[in-house]
Amino acid sequence: MQSETTKPRNPTVREKLRHLLISQEGVLFLIMLASVLFLATRTDKFLTVDNLLQQGRFMAEVGLIAIPMTYIIITGGIDLSVGSILGLTAIVLGWTWQELGFPLELAIITGIISGTVAGFVNGLFIVRVGVPPLIMTLATLALYRGLAEGISEARSARGYPEWFFQLGQGELLGIPTQLWLLIIAVIIFAILLARTRLGRALYAIGNNETGARFSGLTVNRHLLFIYTFSGFMSAVAGYIFVSRVSTTRSDMGTGIELDVIAAVVLGGTSIFGGTGSIPGTIIGVVLIQLLKNGLVLTGVTSDATIVVIGSVLIFAILVNNFIQRKRDEG
Amino acid sequence: MTDALLELRGIDKHFPGVRALKDAQFDVRRGEVHALIGENGAGKSTLIKIIAGVYQPDKGEIRLDGGRVEFSNPRESHSAGIATIYQELGLYPELSVAENIFMGHAPKTKRLGFQTIDWEAMERGAEALLADLNIDNLDVGAKVGALNVGNRQRVEIAKALSLDAQILIMDEPTAALTESDVEQLFSIVRLLRERGVSIIYISHRLNEVFELADRVTVLRDGEYIGTQAVPETSEAELISMMVGRTIENLFPKQAAAIGDVVLEARNLHRPPLTRDISFSVRAGEIVGLAGLVGSGRSETAQVIFGVLPAESGEIRINGEAVKITRPSEAVEYGIGYVPEDRGHQGLIREMTIRENTSMAVLETVSNRSFISRAKERALANGAIRQLSIRATGPDQVTNKLSGGNQQKVVVSKWLASKPSLLIMDEPTRGIDVGAKAEIHRLMSRLAAEDGLAILMISSELPEILAMSDRILVMREGRLVGEFTREEATQEMIAHAMMSEEARQAAGASQ
Repeated sequence: MQSETTKPRNPTVREKLRHLLISQEGVLFLIMLASVLFLATRTDKFLTVDNLLQQGRFMAEVGLIAIPMTYIIITGGIDLSVGSILGLTAIVLGWTWQELGFPLELAIITGIISGTVAGFVNGLFIVRVGVPPLIMTLATLALYRGLAEGISEARSARGYPEWFFQLGQGELLGIPTQLWLLIIAVIIFAILLARTRLGRALYAIGNNETGARFSGLTVNRHLLFIYTFSGFMSAVAGYIFVSRVSTTRSDMGTGIELDVIAAVVLGGTSIFGGTGSIPGTIIGVVLIQLLKNGLVLTGVTSDATIVVIGSVLIFAILVNNFIQRKRDEG
Repeated sequence: MTDALLELRGIDKHFPGVRALKDAQFDVRRGEVHALIGENGAGKSTLIKIIAGVYQPDKGEIRLDGGRVEFSNPRESHSAGIATIYQELGLYPELSVAENIFMGHAPKTKRLGFQTIDWEAMERGAEALLADLNIDNLDVGAKVGALNVGNRQRVEIAKALSLDAQILIMDEPTAALTESDVEQLFSIVRLLRERGVSIIYISHRLNEVFELADRVTVLRDGEYIGTQAVPETSEAELISMMVGRTIENLFPKQAAAIGDVVLEARNLHRPPLTRDISFSVRAGEIVGLAGLVGSGRSETAQVIFGVLPAESGEIRINGEAVKITRPSEAVEYGIGYVPEDRGHQGLIREMTIRENTSMAVLETVSNRSFISRAKERALANGAIRQLSIRATGPDQVTNKLSGGNQQKVVVSKWLASKPSLLIMDEPTRGIDVGAKAEIHRLMSRLAAEDGLAILMISSELPEILAMSDRILVMREGRLVGEFTREEATQEMIAHAMMSEEARQAAGASQ
């Protein structure tokens, strides 16, 4: 090598800090911090332990589904059917318990299995038949929701026993039960994505599926797994949803896919695949939830809230693009 | 030099971590073909991008027709009459030939008081431009996406001329062309030269330089080495200027002990391009697979590698019949495949050297499921040393490497998997002469010292003849010839590659 090259050396703490701050996640974190501080000055009801824990309860469902959605979007795919799978799970749970007389434990398991199978079917068609993920999950978005409506016949199931509400309404050591679940899932799946062979394969597929295949990676198996995983997590979110609101209705989770995708993309995952992380996604989930809540508390109408959230999304992406470009230029 | 149309002097250009050009100079006279050569990473691309206004030099001056100019963007360079034809063509596949040619400056007319595109004038203009280049077999209404590479390139040239280009920069124009397209390109280049257009011609192929160019400038590691009049120089001189040393042997083939049969293919069948193929490759043996483009060489390789699984037939690895239905299975049986399309199939370009070299051996660099960065880095550093990959380190993104170094990364990925059979599909296409010799030396050493069985596909007959112990020839999906190293000649192989009709035609004309 005759041209001058920079010698690799260990980065100093200061450089590491700088690197972290100008990373996608770092920028987003600062935006979140700024939003929290701003909202806190507008109302004293926002920055309280009770309120924040309550918000943790609300963000668990979106957060749990956002984990597999991050995996899927990293591979360059998308899953629009998550909300319908959530609804289908809820209905299967309520219906098998109330109409078929299953024990509640078995009804929960049946519900979660149905959701997982729904995800598996998505994956199977995407991998085997080669249906583009957008088309396949757009179709099952309608199909699974229709199934849920057909099964429920517009009736809602209610009257669950007390223990059933532990997951959705209970607490453990002063923290909402489902928030524990979210925290544990985030840690496990963040590590899985960042450090394991599975994660590496997902990034490789997202950057260049052909290249990954030609390197001997089992592309199809990985894709099948993540869509099934998405079905499973949507099903778990469905169970939490029912437990939180104490009733089962067939329209549960309608539109949640948009909240999930917004959070993932806000978190720095490229919609074209190849880049993204779970920490980024979680900051995205938290940011959107805190904005929603904080703006309502400061008396902003819900229409205006949506406008603000949309603006923050665009702003965050612009700032990120700007910083990434600066960084690429050195 | 007062007769220079374009002149660059003292050009410096830095990129983060890399000095791309240092005190480089270059000039083009009116109506000459000036070849620019050098190894990958020598600074050719940077230099032409400075001329094209894509980059701005840190230092130095550019003179056009004697006057000093500065191009702060490609548009300014365009309007000064400089057009570039890049390796990746900048055409719109969904638009027609005429629309592509006149993109951005379509003839306008007034209709019902509105300015609209004058489609008829555009088509006539496009036809005239193509006729000017002696191209008469191209429909200006055809979609560019439906054309072959050679025709697309002609459209690109016509587009440049529609902008009254005085200087035409051609970056590796023949890299993806077939023989007959190359011939046609050469005649277009000569035609343009006669009309006074100056052409800057970048190529890896020295024979093209001798066939086409008036003068040749050599760059090495970002520095200007020299300019020669083509009639006064020789291939050997240019090579030593390019690599800074004399390469004694372009095809260093060591004699190898031929061992047991590693791969045996029996009646492999997957029409249309793999029909009833049977052959074997032994340990330590390099088997060359020759044939025209489209004869089914890559497809047959991909049948063995499981990308296009066989419909019938049998594959035996080390004497054992195996079933290969996907690449991951081929890898398990010890097969590696260095594909033809490096950027798309061979590499994940957005990822680092470290991540690419470990891609086929993730299990061995992992503790349970967790990838060990330390093991990966050790693997990548080993590859960088062993194959002398020029990079800033294992964490460099492979996108930023030159073609030859990218290819070395692909090879290192498969060497890491310790294969018993390595299939190399056009292993040195688009690679400069220095890196090419290195890859040949490596292949030869792997076969001779490690007993690796190598199946090499190549369109370059000298490469096939020099590197192979045995040569197979394919035509229209069938194996039509087999020659030993001793008996094979260029004529025999070329003859076997040609179709019956072509042979009859050749026979009739003699």
